[in-house]
Amino acid sequence: MSVRDLKGKRGWLAFAGCFAWFAFTLFPLYWVAITSFKTPPDVVGGPTYLPFIDFQPSLNAWRDLFSGVRGEFYSNFWSSAIVAVSSAVFATLLGTMAAYALVRFPFRVRLVSGLVFFAVAMGGFLLGRDVLDFPPATASIIAFCVALALSVLVNRFNLPGKVMNNDDIVFWFVSQRLFPPIVVAFALFLLYSEMGKMGLKMTDTYGGLTLAYIAFSLPIVVWLMRDFIAALPLEVEEAALVDNVPQWRIFFGIVLPMARPGLIATFVITLAFTWNEFLFALFLTNSEWQTLPVLIAGQNSQRGDEWWAISAAALVAIIPMIVIAGLLGRLMRSGLLSGAVK
Amino acid sequence: MATISLNRVTKSYGDIQVIPPMDLEIEDGEFVVLVGPSGCGKSTTLRMIAGLETVSTGALSIGDREVTTLRPGLRNCAMVFQSYALYPHMSVRDNIGYGMKVRGVPKADAAAAIENAARILNLTDYLDRKPAALSGGQRQRVAIGRAIVRDPDVFLFDEPLSNLDAKLRVEMRVEIKQLHRRLKTTMVYVTHDQVEAMTMADRVVVLRDGVVEQAADPITLYEKPANAFVAEFIGAPSMNMLEGHIAQRGDGLCFTGPQGLEFDIPAARVAALAPLAGQACLLGIRPEHTNEAEGGIGVAVDVDDIEPLGPHTLVVGHVGSRKFTGQARADTATRPGSRVTIQFDPDKLHFFRASDGAAVR
Repeated sequence: MSVRDLKGKRGWLAFAGCFAWFAFTLFPLYWVAITSFKTPPDVVGGPTYLPFIDFQPSLNAWRDLFSGVRGEFYSNFWSSAIVAVSSAVFATLLGTMAAYALVRFPFRVRLVSGLVFFAVAMGGFLLGRDVLDFPPATASIIAFCVALALSVLVNRFNLPGKVMNNDDIVFWFVSQRLFPPIVVAFALFLLYSEMGKMGLKMTDTYGGLTLAYIAFSLPIVVWLMRDFIAALPLEVEEAALVDNVPQWRIFFGIVLPMARPGLIATFVITLAFTWNEFLFALFLTNSEWQTLPVLIAGQNSQRGDEWWAISAAALVAIIPMIVIAGLLGRLMRSGLLSGAVK
Repeated sequence: MATISLNRVTKSYGDIQVIPPMDLEIEDGEFVVLVGPSGCGKSTTLRMIAGLETVSTGALSIGDREVTTLRPGLRNCAMVFQSYALYPHMSVRDNIGYGMKVRGVPKADAAAAIENAARILNLTDYLDRKPAALSGGQRQRVAIGRAIVRDPDVFLFDEPLSNLDAKLRVEMRVEIKQLHRRLKTTMVYVTHDQVEAMTMADRVVVLRDGVVEQAADPITLYEKPANAFVAEFIGAPSMNMLEGHIAQRGDGLCFTGPQGLEFDIPAARVAALAPLAGQACLLGIRPEHTNEAEGGIGVAVDVDDIEPLGPHTLVVGHVGSRKFTGQARADTATRPGSRVTIQFDPDKLHFFRASDGAAVR
């Protein structure tokens, strides 16, 4: 049964309810849109709702925005666009590879080897910094590499204790999104500034921000893509295996095209995160690679409550996502797998 | 072109052994069908030959190459799956040609091979379609086309016709047999359908719980089943089994069964059946060797249902606790609920030892 089947009064009630909700969700967007066309007196002189009737629309706010009176708007827009799109592309690709591996190949990680990693990484860092007097970044990088190598080695031996499998690995991925981002943001800022001292500039660079976004997006990508890939028919890949198609071609030539709807959905979700992200951008960038959300949030403190200008800037941040969702939404249609099996 | 040889091959998942040590030799150019009820290990055996399942212990060779641990792509097998397993985003042409493209076959050669396969399989008009725009039979032909252009040593079929409707299944059966005659390549074909097994195979391998119960040509399987399991599995409707007893009577033997069934065993078979004297045994009677009539040697059957097939009618019922199917004339007046006598031909009977089901003849 659908709303279309409702007749008479009940149909109208359903329609009215839906319309009320529609108006409720759309009103903020409408409010931002008309505010960006108002002059300052129209904004502060009590609420006005209808252009040309309540108030006379003006393009002043938009002219200000694009003329650069309100900061390096173009530069921020392009920083946002480049960082958001490239980190979403890389995160989707990397995360899909990880998800594919987690679906198709069984992994066994011993708890002992995880503990070895933790102990060696922490102990090595403290040893390097406090006893051997390495700079903190050098100490942590060396400790990390040694710990990784050791734990991989330890995992090869048949040691007692719990053995973790693919589900545990996926949960470990997802668990990284369970704590508040501010915890990571501080740590990342410290790490990046230490790396800066080593001569590798990470704060306020394309690489630094993009890497942080990729790392923070991966858990969601792995989580989403795992389900999409698990739904793909295994026989198709087996047919390719028997046909002597190398594993990497099976992934790029067969698995990725079959997983296209899932890939696009995941990409859009990731892009929404990287485009709107505020906290990391605030911590890790200042001028060169500052992104739009930081610029918009700063408007209020820089020039006071100029809502007309803030509205125009906010709209510029919203519109690209609407366009992308509209364009890619068409490609997300299902039914792509029909004909493969059965 | 190649022989396939399984030497003490086993397969275990954890502690559970699904295939006990299996020995099987498949001749070059032979069409071998692995058949058995679901869970008997036939698909697992096929997938071990393809390399999609690892062999737990034992050795497997294709031709003169030992392939036990070789990865699937290097075994030069072509496999056709029950679910077709086509690449959904590629046209029929690309589906058939993908393997050649990956292997770097020159474009002109690949195109010629695709055209040839399409001609053999009647797919020429569909080369530019996507799998979604094809019928089930056409999809399975595309999968077979993909196998043909591989020019493999061995064709492996994993229940390829199970998803097709009955009419199409019969047509495709013929097409695959013709393909085998034309290519003369070794083929291993897995099915749970004994009719498919009988009609297509040079040799049928009947499996139960991973054990080869009998491997023989279809007529031998039908006429001389090695044991009661094979006897019941091969033939449709299946062979009737009645529990009974063989006893010495004068110079000959006599069989005593349920519902007062008692008859002398034909003199020609007395010598062979002598070891069964004084033992419990199973009497096997194929429905097609029976008919509904009074007199002669017969058994009383309680009728549960009648199944008119046109040329004749099947009387489906039971004798004691055993199911029994007999054949009657098309115009039989027998109705469910009645008791009729089903007569059978004493020269076409099968006897199995009750202890292990082995045939005695």
